Amino acid sequence: MKESYVDLVRIRRQVFAKVAKLAYDGADLSELEKASFEILPGEVATYRDSIFRERAIVDERLRLTLGLNARKPTEHHRVTDGINDVDVDKIQFIEPLINVITFACEACPTKQFYVTDNCRKCLAHPCTNVCPTNAVSIGRKRAIIDLDKCIKCGRCKDTCPYSAIVQYDRPCAAACGVNAIESDYLGRAEINMDRCVSCGNCIIQCPYGAISDKSQIYQLIKALKSNDHMYAIVAPSFLGQFGPLASPVQIFEGIKQLGFEDAIEVSLGADITTLREANEFLERVPNEIPYMGTSCCNSWTIMVEKLFPDQFEYISDSSSPMVETAKYIKKNDPDAKIAFIGPCISKKLEALREDVKDYVHFVITFEELMGMFVAKGIELSEIEVSEKIQDASSLGRGYAIAGGVAEAVKQVALSMDPSKEINVEGASTLHECVKLMRVAKSGKRNGYLLEGMACSGGCIAGPGTLASLNRVRKAVIDFKNQADIKSPLENKIIDENLS
Amino acid sequence: MKVKVCVGSNCTLLGAMSILDQIDDLKIIISEDSDNYNDEELEVEAIRCLGFCKNTDEKVAPIVVIDGETMYNATSQTVMEKIVNKIRK
Repeated sequence: MKESYVDLVRIRRQVFAKVAKLAYDGADLSELEKASFEILPGEVATYRDSIFRERAIVDERLRLTLGLNARKPTEHHRVTDGINDVDVDKIQFIEPLINVITFACEACPTKQFYVTDNCRKCLAHPCTNVCPTNAVSIGRKRAIIDLDKCIKCGRCKDTCPYSAIVQYDRPCAAACGVNAIESDYLGRAEINMDRCVSCGNCIIQCPYGAISDKSQIYQLIKALKSNDHMYAIVAPSFLGQFGPLASPVQIFEGIKQLGFEDAIEVSLGADITTLREANEFLERVPNEIPYMGTSCCNSWTIMVEKLFPDQFEYISDSSSPMVETAKYIKKNDPDAKIAFIGPCISKKLEALREDVKDYVHFVITFEELMGMFVAKGIELSEIEVSEKIQDASSLGRGYAIAGGVAEAVKQVALSMDPSKEINVEGASTLHECVKLMRVAKSGKRNGYLLEGMACSGGCIAGPGTLASLNRVRKAVIDFKNQADIKSPLENKIIDENLS
Repeated sequence: MKVKVCVGSNCTLLGAMSILDQIDDLKIIISEDSDNYNDEELEVEAIRCLGFCKNTDEKVAPIVVIDGETMYNATSQTVMEKIVNKIRK
């Protein structure tokens, strides 16, 4: 969630902590009826027009966090309806992953240009002069834009010397790189699932907190209480997420205190993915495929599949670091149940794929994990541990930052075949990813390694993070520099396991 | 001036890091306009859980302590205002 949306962040995370507490306490789920009163006590509204609406929205958040659908405002349902279906110790996924809580959406107007009070009806009035459809005229008080004629090119806004014309867009739609946000009959946001790639950017950008994904923390905690073979695999962007005093090894130890047998860096899987993608690139480009796209960002690969289906075969076949890490654990413990903990919402879908579901059994975000720490009363900075984490190479740990994947693959491919010329280009927002694919489709990136990431700045800016981009980037670079080995080629753990 | 920001689990969950980020940003605002502020050094420390929320059912997190004075339910705007009021000439 965007850090400056403080009130939304608090409500959202209190819900995670509450649901985690219910799960750890083994409480009867009828307790859920009271939860919104505990999160929003009193009778005075703080955030919206009435406390009743505020609590109703929190009720929907509680349901989504339990993995249930939000209720329809047109039908009678109790907050606990359907609860028996999700009161289990494995993923009980009910589509869709990304949900608009309809009555939390304020139906913001769609993209438009507005003339503000700054307009002085100046003599030069360049706004009218540059308009290609003659939509701008000078009215009695200010310039007027004829919305029927306006084609939203923005020329009037760019030329105004008084900054009197502003562009207005729904934050959810502006954040969506694949134009998946449409409107329902009341003008509220509605997600077109044929286009949505579940990147989660609309969730973090909506200033009303009206969009939310579903969580699996309740089911995960039930599994932790009943199963001894639970493993956590932790994405490379975990550094700095849990407060400035929590060291990497304290975070891993804290995760074990939640009931996990062990915690492993996903950067280990990143090392394996690097080796596979480097081999794949050397073998296939340019003879079999004209260029190769990386495969670790799930939203990027879904975007290519949905919007550029004829280019999809040029995306690497290598499994993502999440899956490679899980496979590594499965090899040592065939009974392992594995939970991926990361910044990413899209991974919740990747884990449901036929070729992935036997390896990755749960996916939660760092935000959700923090809710579990609070529910269990764990203070990370007070845990006493001395050893260091050394599962992965410096290049593997760099996957979290935009550019890191391609850099790792390029370096390893070059050490395998120094004569090969490898051009790299990356995109790190969904908008940029779509643009990059358009260029690639036209044949202008042949011979390239293309790195696509749906979040701006890479995984360190994922929707499930707690800390700001700069904070995490610095911590990731520190941790990268602490790796004993530099390259996946030196990673001894992999030698025995990469078949 | 000494500003202590609790970064225990509950305070971190409820936005302590955002408060730290905003104080860092405030330091830039102050340095750009240094004529209007005292020379007093703004010392910021992230501290371990003080245990306030564990002893009560009331909502008190996040906690910030400025020169010994404890602020409950701290937000970045209340914290920054307090700091600015203390050191603005």
